[in-house]
Amino acid sequence: MESGQFDTISVRTSDNVTLGYNIAGLGSRLVAQILDNLLAIPLTLIAVLLYGAIASVFVTSAEGATFADAGAGFFAGFAYFGYFFVAEAVTGGKTPGKSAMGLRVIRVDGSAADFGALAVRNVIRVIDVVVVLIGIVVMFFQPQTRRLGDLGAGTIVVRDRATVTLASAVAPPPVMLRTPDAGPPIDGLDHIGSFEHDALRVFLSRPGLSQKLRADLAADIARRLLDRLGLPPGAPERLWPPELLIERVYLQLDQRHR
Amino acid sequence: MTLDVFIAERQGRWAALEAAIKTAKRGRLRNQSASDIERFGLLLRQTSSDLAIARRDHPDAPITEYLNTLCARAHPLLYRGRAWRLGAIGPFFATALPRSFRAAGPYIVASLTLLLIGFIAGWVAVDVRPDLRASLVPPSLFDEMARGQIGTGVQDVPFAAAFIIQNNIRVALICFAGGMLLGIPTAFVLLSNGWMLGTVAAAVRLGGYDVQFWSLIVPHGVLELSVIVISGGTGLMLGDAILRPRQLRRADALARVAVRAVLLVLGAASLLIIAGTLEAFVSPSGLPDGVKLAVGAAVGVLLYSWLLLAGRGPRRRRMFRFDRPAETPA
Repeated sequence: MESGQFDTISVRTSDNVTLGYNIAGLGSRLVAQILDNLLAIPLTLIAVLLYGAIASVFVTSAEGATFADAGAGFFAGFAYFGYFFVAEAVTGGKTPGKSAMGLRVIRVDGSAADFGALAVRNVIRVIDVVVVLIGIVVMFFQPQTRRLGDLGAGTIVVRDRATVTLASAVAPPPVMLRTPDAGPPIDGLDHIGSFEHDALRVFLSRPGLSQKLRADLAADIARRLLDRLGLPPGAPERLWPPELLIERVYLQLDQRHR
Repeated sequence: MTLDVFIAERQGRWAALEAAIKTAKRGRLRNQSASDIERFGLLLRQTSSDLAIARRDHPDAPITEYLNTLCARAHPLLYRGRAWRLGAIGPFFATALPRSFRAAGPYIVASLTLLLIGFIAGWVAVDVRPDLRASLVPPSLFDEMARGQIGTGVQDVPFAAAFIIQNNIRVALICFAGGMLLGIPTAFVLLSNGWMLGTVAAAVRLGGYDVQFWSLIVPHGVLELSVIVISGGTGLMLGDAILRPRQLRRADALARVAVRAVLLVLGAASLLIIAGTLEAFVSPSGLPDGVKLAVGAAVGVLLYSWLLLAGRGPRRRRMFRFDRPAETPA
């Protein structure tokens, strides 16, 4: 919706405003996954080594060693998958990998992912990973890049990072005026609103246009402005050069709304 | 209002909201005072109304995207489900878990049926073809039974317990997660566990070791099989939600049951710690068979009176109730 470069989901808030969330793509999800594995695998190894160290001290029989070996295998699984669950539960939906990629788990209604939802998506992670990486296949075909665990939990991974900063959004390119004088008041300015004002502003802040293109564009805009203003046939504004008309309309709109 | 005026007049509160988002720790506003949270809510409502104006008047301006992202980041900080705290564990086991057990009743019955089908099939298989006994049942079992030392003398009991507990929790979670694949893996786990128990039970019956065998299974098996059946039921719940979503979209039907089901399976799986401890310490111990069977019976009575009776009666009043008219003063 807002940002053409990402798929979005729309969430209607209780204030009846629609928010657009940028959905995390397969690529950034996989990179986040790799980053998490760089942490999860060493942590799992450490956990298993600790288990083994404890076992080697206390196990006294061959039978016990078999149990300890098999138990360590299971323990590895719990440690590995536990990393993701604990990381998401503690941070409210951002494992370190997701955090690094600016991703975050939320529920599809826009609210924060709660304990139950995170439990579902992390238990089902086992299926997503173990069954021939079915999670990646599902994410590839699912329009919102959700894996089975997301579908079960009603969650979605979104981009949490600001795409536009306030500083860049509030400082649009400067307007360049040739005659910084608003001129005599123009009739019919009431017919023109903020949408046209924004359009004029975009035109007046484009430095890179060639002379000819600029003149053509100005003539086109001026013709539409004159239509919109509804001036009588003999009005003096019709005789102004197009660019002068545009600048004066812009300046007078500006003054009017100050 | 022109874009410049709009921005100039209102950017103060956007910056304030942005700063407030940065003070949130770990995706929560928990560390903040009540007045800070109230102010956060006010800023979010003001900013989202600014977003609505910006979208109408300046749909293509960068500020509109900025405001959308700002609101989208702030929204989940304020809107969230009920928080989970350690203090919620008591009420969860006291009332919520038995209630969701009873609510899942039909699925648990279906799960039990699958286990019994596997059991009967295994039993019948050994009855019909006793010669196949050796390939269905591990032969070492008969050696141990012949020597009269079936299951006795397990060493390094804590490691045996850890192994058993982890294995069973793994099976329980797979039963649940298998629901995502229409419950097919779930049904397979239930049938194969029933089959294993059925073949071994029929085989030891042929050998005449019934009492020793059941005294080895029952103390922990009551709890363990109950948990497997419950987990199977949760997996079947998910599978059913996908296959028969009724009035909802499949994804919504699934998400609706899954959160309830995962709490049931996690609660049930935690019982496996007790089951595994019994399996390692009581079942193979030298206690008389009668005592072992009595332990199993006692566990069964406790388990099912808890699951079937706890949390009945009127629900306790919630902190916020909007669905009930205000009570009239006496």
